Amino acid sequence: MATALVSLSLPSLPEGWAAEKDFKPIGKITKDGATQRTIEPVGPHFLAHARRARHKRTFSEDDR
Amino acid sequence: MSDTKTTPAPGDRTVIGVTFGNSNSSIAYTVDDKAEVIANEDGDRQIPTILSYVDGEEYYGQQAKAFLVRNSKNTVAYFRDFLGKDFKSIDPTHNHASVHPEDVDGSVSFTLTDEEGEDATPSTLSVSEISTRYLRRLVNSASEYLGKKVTSAVITIPTNFNDKQKAALIAAAAAADLEVLQLISEPVAAVVAYDARPEVEIKDKIVVVADLGGTRSDVTVVASRGGLYTILATAHDYDFAGATLDKVLIDHFAKEFAKRNQGIDPRENARSLAKLKFEAEATKRALSLSTNANFSIESLAEGIDFSSTINRLRYETIARSVFEGFNRLVESVIKKAGLDVLDVDEVILSGGTAHTPRIAANFGAIFPESTNILAPSTTPAAINPSELQARGAALQASLIQEYEAEDIDQSTHAAVTTVPHITNAIGVLSVSQSGDEVFVPVVFPETAVPARRTVIVAAPKNGGDVLIKIVEGNTHIKVTQPQPKANGDNSKAAKVEDANSDEDSDFSDDEEEEEEKREKVWKVGATLAEAAIRGVKKGGKVEISINVNADLAVTVTAREVGAKGGVRGQLNA
Ligand SMILES: Nc1ncnc2c1ncn2[C@@H]1O[C@H](COP(=O)(O)OP(=O)(O)OP(=O)(O)O)[C@@H](O)[C@H]1O
Ligand SMILES: [Mg+2]
Repeated sequence: MATALVSLSLPSLPEGWAAEKDFKPIGKITKDGATQRTIEPVGPHFLAHARRARHKRTFSEDDR
Repeated sequence: MSDTKTTPAPGDRTVIGVTFGNSNSSIAYTVDDKAEVIANEDGDRQIPTILSYVDGEEYYGQQAKAFLVRNSKNTVAYFRDFLGKDFKSIDPTHNHASVHPEDVDGSVSFTLTDEEGEDATPSTLSVSEISTRYLRRLVNSASEYLGKKVTSAVITIPTNFNDKQKAALIAAAAAADLEVLQLISEPVAAVVAYDARPEVEIKDKIVVVADLGGTRSDVTVVASRGGLYTILATAHDYDFAGATLDKVLIDHFAKEFAKRNQGIDPRENARSLAKLKFEAEATKRALSLSTNANFSIESLAEGIDFSSTINRLRYETIARSVFEGFNRLVESVIKKAGLDVLDVDEVILSGGTAHTPRIAANFGAIFPESTNILAPSTTPAAINPSELQARGAALQASLIQEYEAEDIDQSTHAAVTTVPHITNAIGVLSVSQSGDEVFVPVVFPETAVPARRTVIVAAPKNGGDVLIKIVEGNTHIKVTQPQPKANGDNSKAAKVEDANSDEDSDFSDDEEEEEEKREKVWKVGATLAEAAIRGVKKGGKVEISINVNADLAVTVTAREVGAKGGVRGQLNA
C-alpha cells in the first residue's frame, strides 16, 4: 500500500518524558476490540495474504 | 459425458470469467491483464439466460428471448435462482410467460419439447440439466471466440447462495465440461473490476455495490482494506428490480392502448402481454440514453397496431415508487453495516438496471458530495455496469489459472479467510496549526489482521524531540443544527416579528432555511503507546509504521525520514 502523507504535525516531546529505549507501552488491543469476519478470497492482495497465512510468513519475510 | 473425465492440468487451462444471472449472462477473458467481455455469435455481450427449442433445434440468448412471444411453451427463462433449491422454496413469479417450473421429487424441473417432429414426446428436464445446456452454449461461444477450447472458469454468484446452490452450480458446469476454478461473489467481482484499472491506487475505503438486475436487487457494503475485501452487510430485494420498471411501462401503455381502443386491455392476453414486456424493456433501455423513446408494437391485441412515445421525465414520474425502493434498500444495508452514508467512499452501480440515470442521481442525493458515485451517467470513468461482474470474474480467473485445484481450495478455506478485523482505528495524535489534537488514522476500522500500514507525519516546524502517541480512534457523526435566523441581536423581538410576518417574509424564510450539517469526526480513544524520536532536523518528517499481528499484538516503528535508527516497540496481545 502507498504511504499516506499527512500535513499536520506531530507534538513536541513533553518536558521530562522518558522511557526505556524511548518506547512506552500503555494499552493493547484486546479480543473485544476485534470481530471475526471473512475476507473474500478474491484479488491479488488476497493471494498475498493467503501465501503469508499458509506459509506462516510475516510481512517483512514476505517482502524479501 | 463419461465419468473418466479429468480436470485439466493448470498449464493446459483456457480460462474465462462467467456471470450467470436470472436475466442475462456474460463471458469475459483477459488479454494483457485487461478484462474484455466477449460478444457471442449474435454480437451480444449481455446474453439472455434463456433456452428455446423449435423443431428440435436449440436456441439460446437473444434468439431464445425473441421466442418468448411465439414459442413460450418451449422456452425456459429465469431459472438460475432455482439451481440447488427445493421446489417448495422457489418463487416462480417470473416464469408465467415461459415454461413453468414443476415439482419432480421435490426438485425443480421444466417440461418442453426439445425434439423434432409433430409427435415428439416432451422431455422433463431438471433445472440442473437446463443450466448445463445453457452453460455449454456460453462456453462454446467463448471457445469459438478465443479459438481454443475453454476448459475452466470463475463464475460469480449472489452473496446469499448457500452450499447446496454452489454445489449444484459446480455440478451443472462440470456436466457442461467446464471446470469451476472458483465461485466468487457478484459484488466483489464488481469491486475487483474497478480496482483492476491500472491508474487505481489501492486505498482503504468503504464501498457500496448496488447490483440492480432484472428480477432482483442486491446491495452490499464492502470494507476494502489494503486490497482485501470484507463484506460487512448485504440486502436482497425481489420486489424492486428491472422487471418492476418494465411493469410500470407495460401498465402505462396498456392503459393508453385501452383508452384508444374501446377499453381492450392487452395485458389479458398472454401473447399480447409478452409483446408488451419485450417492447417495454426496449423502451426502458432507450430512456437510459435519450430523453425520449418510442413504444411500438405491431398487432398488439385483436390485430390492432400500437405506437406511442414517452419522455424520460414522465417515465421517472410513473416509476418513482420503484426508484424510491432502490434508495430504501441502499439506506437499509448501510444501517445494517452499522455505518452512515458519510462513511461510504464509493458507490458502484452494477447490473443492467444501474444504467438508469435517475437511479444514479437519486443515490447522489443520498450520499455526501465526497462519495464517488460510479455510474455511466455520473462519471465518464464508469465501467459499463452490465460488464462489471464478468470482468471481475475474468480477472480472478487469470489470477488463479496456474494454481492446482487443491491449492485454490486450501487458500479459500475458512482457516485462511476468517480472521479478526479490528473494531477501532489505530492512529497517531497530531496537532493542527491552531493547536488542536487531531487523530490521524493509520489502520482503519474493519481492517483484517495481520495488517501493516505506514504514514509520514511532519515534525514541528523547528524539529527537535517529538512525541509519537499511538491511540485508538473511532468516528462519530457530528450534527450541527442550523442557527435560527434572528434579525438583529434581540432574538425575542425577532420572534415576535416572525409571528407577525406577512407572506412575503414567510417566503424569504423558506429560502434561507438551512439544513442541519452532518460531518464525520474522529474521536480519540484509549492510548496504546508513546514513543520519542529525538533531534529531528528542521522541516523533518517522521515515518510511523503500525503492524497488527494475527494475534492482535501490535508492533510500532518510527524513525525520522532519511535518518538512521528510530524506535521500535511491541504491545503484546
Ligand atoms: N440500458 C439499460 N437501462 C435500463 N435498464 C437496463 C438497461 N440494460 C439492461 N437493463 C435491465 O437490466 C435488467 C437485467 O439486469 P442484468 O443484466 O444485471 O441481469 P441479471 O443479473 O441476470 O438479473 P437478475 O438475476 O436480477 O434477474 C433487465 O431488467 C434489463 O431490462
Ligand atoms: Mg445479477
